[in-house]
Amino acid sequence: LFQGDLGPFNPGLPVEVPVWLAINLKQRQKCRLIPPEWMDVEKLEEIRDQERKEDTFTPMPSPYYMELTKLLLNYASDNIPKADEIRTLVKDTWDTRIAKLRLSADSFVRRQEAHAKLDNLTLMEINTTGTFLTQALDRMYKLRTNLQPGEGAHSQDF
Amino acid sequence: MFISDCRREFYDVIVSQRVLLLVASDVDALCACKILQALFQCDHVQYTLVPVSGWQELETAFLEHKDQFKYFVLINCGANVDLLEILQPEEDTFFFVCDSHRPINVVNVYNDTQIKLLVKQDDDLDVPAYDDIFRDEEDEEEDSECDSDGSEPSEKRRRFEEGVIERTMKRRQRREWEARRREIIFDYEQYEYHGTSVIFMLLTGQCVIFRKHFCVLVIKYKNTQEESEVTNLFLRMKYVTDIGILQRHVSRHNHRNEDEENSLSIDCMRIAFEYDLRLALYQHWSLYESLCNTSYTSASLKLWSVQGQKRLQEFLADMGLPLKQVKQKFNSMDMSLKENLREMIEESANKFGMKDLRVQTFSIHFGFKNKFSASDIVYATASLMENIEKEGPETTNFIKALDSLSRGNLDKLHQGLDLAKKQLRAIQQTVASCICTNLVISQGPFLYCSLMEGTPDVKLFSKPVSLCLLSKYLLKSFVCSTKNKRCKLLPLIMAAPMDVEQGTVIMVGIPPETESSDKKNFFGRAFEKAADSTNSRTLHNHFDMSIIELKTEDRSKFLDALISLLS
Repeated sequence: LFQGDLGPFNPGLPVEVPVWLAINLKQRQKCRLIPPEWMDVEKLEEIRDQERKEDTFTPMPSPYYMELTKLLLNYASDNIPKADEIRTLVKDTWDTRIAKLRLSADSFVRRQEAHAKLDNLTLMEINTTGTFLTQALDRMYKLRTNLQPGEGAHSQDF
Repeated sequence: MFISDCRREFYDVIVSQRVLLLVASDVDALCACKILQALFQCDHVQYTLVPVSGWQELETAFLEHKDQFKYFVLINCGANVDLLEILQPEEDTFFFVCDSHRPINVVNVYNDTQIKLLVKQDDDLDVPAYDDIFRDEEDEEEDSECDSDGSEPSEKRRRFEEGVIERTMKRRQRREWEARRREIIFDYEQYEYHGTSVIFMLLTGQCVIFRKHFCVLVIKYKNTQEESEVTNLFLRMKYVTDIGILQRHVSRHNHRNEDEENSLSIDCMRIAFEYDLRLALYQHWSLYESLCNTSYTSASLKLWSVQGQKRLQEFLADMGLPLKQVKQKFNSMDMSLKENLREMIEESANKFGMKDLRVQTFSIHFGFKNKFSASDIVYATASLMENIEKEGPETTNFIKALDSLSRGNLDKLHQGLDLAKKQLRAIQQTVASCICTNLVISQGPFLYCSLMEGTPDVKLFSKPVSLCLLSKYLLKSFVCSTKNKRCKLLPLIMAAPMDVEQGTVIMVGIPPETESSDKKNFFGRAFEKAADSTNSRTLHNHFDMSIIELKTEDRSKFLDALISLLS
């Protein structure tokens, strides 16, 4: 168990707390959540357009933008102005980035590169494609090594 | 004892304790229970929920749990009997009773320590004064003292005579006092009616506690008021004033961030207070079906007769709605028709003698698809609770209905709506057949109708709330169909077979259909007296005293006794 102190909580004055506490208090109807600065329609529109223009990944306003958006929009959508538009914008940005990721994974495999460098990826995106990519590369490696004839016809165990 | 400050005397007390919630099985109690549950979850209060459907279950539940709990909250049960006598609790158990049954038993009112009543005190309670009912026991001791003294024979004899005279005077006084007390209590307890609904009490109490309430809670606000309309339990005037109060709370909930630029997400729950049509479930059904199966329209248009059907067609033609449109699901009707529907219906309804088709009510919507009005939810939960298809132990229906009230369980709510449609259709068909075959007979002081065993859907009516609904609709239709002026003012007793193997019948008595909003019901006491005088085997198990179970063989003598009692 970890522990610590939070506060002081004064009625009417905003105070910073960890996300889990904020969501818990919100579910118990004891507080109102203030969205982060970047969760704003114009800013997100800019980010989305920027993402679409560039070929590589642009830096995101927060390394946890997807998680935060999901949590806040699920539990506190009444405290966030224009929540529907924000949801659409974030989803658009996410889709663009995942598409870029797929493209780069595809070219990586095709050209049989040994390593690749991707900037500005967030952890959520990495984990979304990560397992699939690593397992797929493993299989391909096995297939490739077994292409060589000889050394008896071992049965292949995966 | 009445609680004046809901927060300090009720909520703050139980917030740190383990609480047992005993909840009656009706929609009002169900929704109130949901509100309390939500509050308890927010404040981490440990509680156990026990749904009870009658006095016996209440007692068994109490006996089972009395060692573990000191605080009991009774929702919509327990105000109209002497709780201390029935339950025999320990000295340190506390009962919080929030009940809309009136009259409140005088012991509950005047007990200062163990029983706390969460009741609005400006109700027309008419509780008799303390002195009229309770008398100190000092007088007894004085009498015995007179006897024990005694010295000289003559003096003793004189004193003895004086003592005798005094004692007889006292005894006579006491008898008079007791007779007066009995009369007062009889008058007080003669009529049953319902005070402010439980939910309203809780909500207005809790609104002092919390500023904002969310989805679940606010649905309940509306529900109770709709129930009052649907089942005609509450006084009309009260309904209007109470709704005004609720509407203020609702608008406070709604106007949080709403202005032009910052509109709320469509998924947020919005509650609207508006004029809506008094047609049952019309948004989830087709308009035609809803017109046929709502008691108000069906009784006014007399839809059980051929003439009535013709009038319905005329009504629809008057509004200019094509039959094909009207018979399909409401959501698929043409937009142009739907938009002007309310005004069109109101105009035509006035021509056909249905002046009250419009009523102010709450409706809720969240998401693009889900729009429910309060009466829809009432019908759905009521039919879920009385679902005759038994799956599992007794309380599953209650729990299922409770679940259907949360936002995530819309499939259960839709299931409830389907069951409600079946129920309404069954009610209408039964009403039509009863009126056409003249099953409603006037017995003198009341009307009587009995459902035979082979009637279709009779199993649906073995449950109290469905039977009550059926009887109310039947009475309304009967009043519209009969020409006998005297019969229009009579109350109705309805009987339906309850359990064929055990040979029991469930009997319900409802007050007459009057324009004034006085819905007092004297059948509770009348049933008790008739049962006593004929030694019939009856079971007065329900919290509503006007619903009893009876053995089929005793039915006729019971009725005879009632007739002689009431005429």
